[in-house]
Amino acid sequence: MTLDMDCRSAVEVLHEYLRHEVTPDIAEQVRAHIEKCRHCLDSVHFEQNYLALLEAKAKAQCCPDEVRERILATLRSAAQGGDP
Amino acid sequence: MTPPADLTASFEAEVLPHLDTLYRVGLRLAGDHHRAEDLVQDTMLKAFRAWDTYRQGTNARAWLLTILRNTFINEYRKQARAPTPVDFEAADPMAIYRAVAGTDPEGSFFSHIIDDQVWAAIDALPEEFREVVVLSDVEELPYGEIAGLLGIPVGTVKSRLHRARRVLQQALYQHAVEMGYIRAREDV
Repeated sequence: MTLDMDCRSAVEVLHEYLRHEVTPDIAEQVRAHIEKCRHCLDSVHFEQNYLALLEAKAKAQCCPDEVRERILATLRSAAQGGDP
Repeated sequence: MTPPADLTASFEAEVLPHLDTLYRVGLRLAGDHHRAEDLVQDTMLKAFRAWDTYRQGTNARAWLLTILRNTFINEYRKQARAPTPVDFEAADPMAIYRAVAGTDPEGSFFSHIIDDQVWAAIDALPEEFREVVVLSDVEELPYGEIAGLLGIPVGTVKSRLHRARRVLQQALYQHAVEMGYIRAREDV
């Protein structure tokens, strides 16, 4: 028998749930709650959209090629015994 | 003494895949591209010189981020820009859901926000919030790894993340309203 979870408790653990950082027992309670709670289902989508923004758009930023090359050159010079 | 070629090769093979992560985290900590490059370069040199202390096959990303963070704290932080004051009232866990309830409860406005605005909003967070958001929500490190890296309990990582996300989401929401991606609650 799973304990009924209220909205505030569900919201508290929503991110941990989406990031698979909750115990299977808590995950089951969250799933059971959002199945019957439209507001919390919206909140799940809200948090998924937020995470998608940070994971995709933010992660699109890379170390620029010229920086990568300068760092590699410094490392290789250090490997030759140089003292940059 | 020149390290043997295979040492350099093993270093490059384990370390270079994490360069983008180091650069992104370095940029958020240091504040601009020039300082970020210096910080990442210093980190890579320290890592190279300490390479014999790294146990192959363990978590290179965590090891490198620890060096990056310590280098930042010890050598760079003094010159860092002052953090922008944050409205902690916005950290009410339900406030953002109430704000979007009438217009965009699923937060589809997030997809309209451009990269520069995401970075500006993250950079406006105080450092202790900024680093957990970047490590968790951008770089997707597990909470346990973040806790080890920052030297704080997992529970503290979670509570910081909760507050940081609320403040960040509030800022992104305000931006979306200003840009007309969504209507403010008062207009409904």
